[in-house]
Amino acid sequence: MPKWKLEILRRLAPLRLAPTREAEIADELAQHLEDRYQELLALGVSDEEASSTAIGELEGEDLLARGLRLVERDLYREPVTLGRSGGNFFSSIVQDIRYALRMLRKSPGFTLAAVLTLALGIGANTAIFSFIDGILLRSLPVKDPQQLVVLRWSAHTRPKLKGHSDYGDCLNLSGDCSFSLPFFKNLRDHTNAFSHMAAFAGPLDYDFSGNGPASMARGQYVSGDFFSTLGVNAIVGRPLGVSDDSASAPPAIVLSYAYWQRALAADRSVAGRVVRLNNISTVIVGVAEPRFTNLTPGKTIDFFMPFSVADRIRPEHWGLSDRLSDPGVWWSVIVGRLKPDVLLARAQAVATTMFVNETTHGATPFLNEADAPSIKLLPAAEGLDGESSQIAPMLYLLMFAVGLILLITCANVAGLMLARSATRQREMAVRLALGAGRARIMRQLLTESLLLSLVGGALGMFLSLWGIKAIVVLFSSGYEAFPFEIAPDWRVLLFTLGVTFAVGILFGLAPSVRGARIDLTPSLKQTASLLPGSAAHSGRWFRLGNALVVAQVALSIVVLIGAGLLVRTLHNLHNLNPGFDTRSILLLGLNPTAAGYTDQKTAQLYSDLQQRFAALPGVISVSYSEDALLSGNWSSDDVHLDGAPPKQNVEAARLTVGLNFFSTMRIPLLGGRTFNSADFAVASAIIAARTAAEEAASKAKASDTANPAAVATRAVSKPNLAPLPVIINETFARQYFPNQNPLGKHFNDPQEDNEAPVGLQPGYLIVGIAGDAKYNSLRREIKPTMYMPLVNNTAHFELRTAADPLALVKLVHGIVSSVDDNLPLFDVRTQTEQIDQTLFLDRLMARISSAFALLALVLACVGLYGLLSYEVARRTRELGIRMAMGAQRRDLLRMVISQGILLVLIGSAIGIAAAIGVTRFLSTILYGVHADDPLTFAGVAILLTLVALTACYIPARRATRVDPMVALRYD
Amino acid sequence: MQYVASPYMESITSHADWKRGSAELLILSLVEARPRHGYEISTLIEQRSGGAVRFHVASLYPLLYRLEHRGWLSGKWVEKSGQRRRRYYRLTHQGRRVLALQLRGWREFAAGINRITEAENA
Repeated sequence: MPKWKLEILRRLAPLRLAPTREAEIADELAQHLEDRYQELLALGVSDEEASSTAIGELEGEDLLARGLRLVERDLYREPVTLGRSGGNFFSSIVQDIRYALRMLRKSPGFTLAAVLTLALGIGANTAIFSFIDGILLRSLPVKDPQQLVVLRWSAHTRPKLKGHSDYGDCLNLSGDCSFSLPFFKNLRDHTNAFSHMAAFAGPLDYDFSGNGPASMARGQYVSGDFFSTLGVNAIVGRPLGVSDDSASAPPAIVLSYAYWQRALAADRSVAGRVVRLNNISTVIVGVAEPRFTNLTPGKTIDFFMPFSVADRIRPEHWGLSDRLSDPGVWWSVIVGRLKPDVLLARAQAVATTMFVNETTHGATPFLNEADAPSIKLLPAAEGLDGESSQIAPMLYLLMFAVGLILLITCANVAGLMLARSATRQREMAVRLALGAGRARIMRQLLTESLLLSLVGGALGMFLSLWGIKAIVVLFSSGYEAFPFEIAPDWRVLLFTLGVTFAVGILFGLAPSVRGARIDLTPSLKQTASLLPGSAAHSGRWFRLGNALVVAQVALSIVVLIGAGLLVRTLHNLHNLNPGFDTRSILLLGLNPTAAGYTDQKTAQLYSDLQQRFAALPGVISVSYSEDALLSGNWSSDDVHLDGAPPKQNVEAARLTVGLNFFSTMRIPLLGGRTFNSADFAVASAIIAARTAAEEAASKAKASDTANPAAVATRAVSKPNLAPLPVIINETFARQYFPNQNPLGKHFNDPQEDNEAPVGLQPGYLIVGIAGDAKYNSLRREIKPTMYMPLVNNTAHFELRTAADPLALVKLVHGIVSSVDDNLPLFDVRTQTEQIDQTLFLDRLMARISSAFALLALVLACVGLYGLLSYEVARRTRELGIRMAMGAQRRDLLRMVISQGILLVLIGSAIGIAAAIGVTRFLSTILYGVHADDPLTFAGVAILLTLVALTACYIPARRATRVDPMVALRYD
Repeated sequence: MQYVASPYMESITSHADWKRGSAELLILSLVEARPRHGYEISTLIEQRSGGAVRFHVASLYPLLYRLEHRGWLSGKWVEKSGQRRRRYYRLTHQGRRVLALQLRGWREFAAGINRITEAENA
């Protein structure tokens, strides 16, 4: 065999094949010759003849080489010159990638800068998109979520209802999605368009006891078919069923998975345990499966209970209203699944017909047919938007900001690539001269940029994970727990991949077009470009590089101005005088009614606690009110001012407060007096008389329906009650009693359209005027407000302290549990914390946008610095000549800096023009500052110019240190 | 040999041209049923043509490598017990398509020739 190989190798030698390939061919051919030789021997041919016949297969000296040359050259002898066309497409791509990797390794500084910049840009975008994905694009955690629809009604006028509640499920809809329970039952039982229907309402806070110390928990009412409609199961025990939703069934609840984990330590024996909800014994029948958190995004639900318990377990403010069977109380949301063969339009028509009948032809019509009441069915994921509709504008705003940052990133890296491609002109020219195609050179440069962006994208993905955590922590400072789950999924991955490729192509395009357009001759004689005034000096690269810096400056100006406006908004809100002293106040919430307290007992409890708290060391004064100030909650009433035309009511915010409220909160008293104990006695008497009258009326209604005159007679025989003393605020006085002294004035409950004033109408008597104070939110204008004595209600205590209010928390807890262990204490925080919480969205926006603005500023300055540094390095020879000709260092400094500043000024002008167009979209979230606030605009422009000056100064100083002798020898 | 699917387009005048024109077709059809090594292919061509067509090493292997390079054949070293390792060539999916095309062309061409020559000699 060796003899064959030698012969073959000799003939292959002129081809200069790769050693492995050469050996492979030799092996195969030698095997062939050996086979031939053996065959001939077997035929009886002599050894010598067989051997020469076999060698004869090779047919002379050069035939084999000639035959193989055509085939083998393409595959194995291709020169490494890049850019030759033809050949295998994929092998050339692999070659491109290998070459790109080598080039990037050769300039680690450039690679690191580009990858980090890209990672920041892509990471910021991925992080914000993850939030959009998790909050706005998530699918409902139920079975076949796309089949679930939610009902929404609309009409030309508001229906005249006895009660209407919504719990923030459909915030962004033009209509409304609260319905009465009788309507739900009617629709469910008398239509055949839906395969499943369910209703829910809430959540509301309830006193949850019997499981350690009493606490407040959030419960949602659901219909018996809620879990079966949604296809949600229980992980422990069983879900609620239709049998649980009947008046005779014992109260039963299903816990949410999170609450079970948090409050019951994931105890699997929880099913069957009896707890107390608002002091009513209730049995826990199961725990919902983990994936089912809520139907409406952002809602925290601790437990689910059937509607049937609403007559026993209910919040105090519902009074005696019958929510279960009164068609005039609209408060539940209806969801359903269509039958497979039923079209949406038909189901909608069926529901609308029933709705029209119910609202216009029922026992009490709420609407006229002319109001065109109708029902629309919406996909549940779209209709039940909840919290997400509040956060959506903010998220889109942030997405816009990070989009701008991505563009800055692209411009920045494109600038880096351009500078680098300028130094690689000679390399490109050599390749072109060796026969590389221009398209192939472009492809090579694009491969490099795509590779950079892929590495940047991968790093960005990691950065985004960190960013998501940071933003969730920021969010959680406002919410008790961040109510959304943000975990990157395939959509986020696809988004990042898309962004990465788009970015790679975007910033790679300019240098690659430039790379392919190289003019051979001057590039090969590279020194020509270093001469001042040469063609390359004023060439395309320079103009493109300048344009990229201008774009970066302009884009960062937009982000900076946006952030500037948000920071000023936060500053304005922080520095706003809310009308009371917010320092050193401890707030704590109590709900005695939920713990079974009656009116009289509640009043006693409050007075008792007020005294005990006041006796604590370091406490200056103590009071309480229905809602803490600036908590976000508020209520208002219509009132009828004496002397006003009939039925012309005015609106006034109302807050019930305890003794010493004004002095504790340090709200100035402008006239009259504050409340005294006699005022509270009057308030108690009115409430007692009202409750008695309501009960009597409802009994009378039951027995005297045939004799309405009897009811009227009883209503007339009302006790002679004193009006309720109220303290009004300055705005109330100014708006409703202009140029009059309101003290001693009287006003009444509202006069309604369709009812004569019946029942007890003692009205209100103004006894004092207090200074204006912000009620529910810092942003909201101060409305006419009336303060009334609080006698029975939920209350928030306010403790004015001399030192750190939080030091008292333990003592306060001790006092409350010593009075009654069943009393849940909630919302324990300082007034400052309370304000911080209401401002948390503003603060979050200001912080995140500032971080992004800082990033934009740094990126733009790095871009500027890079451009000028490159300019100075490129013009070393020119600078040397200038110095040799007598130019002063100051002249050179000015020359370089003025070039940079000119770019900054052009960029700023463009950026400001763009910002004027963009910031008006911010106007709804700004406070105390206009969207085109000149101060912010000027401040940002000055800030950017100053920072840019620093970025220009470093390369400029380098220019002045050029040694003329060295520069002239510079090649 | 630059043609792909139209062997009959070449001007075929001599025995050598006949051979060149049909070489690819012969090789592709021999490996259609099962993979074969180079020596086996050359022996089969010689045997089945009754010695009329013969390929030597210097022309067979460059042709095999070209067909492999085009993706019509795929070569693989196989080692069987008691035998030296040999390179076996298998028809690829693409090669199968080319073979079908070439066979059809060849048959049409032969039929055309037959019709002409029969008409002239009748």
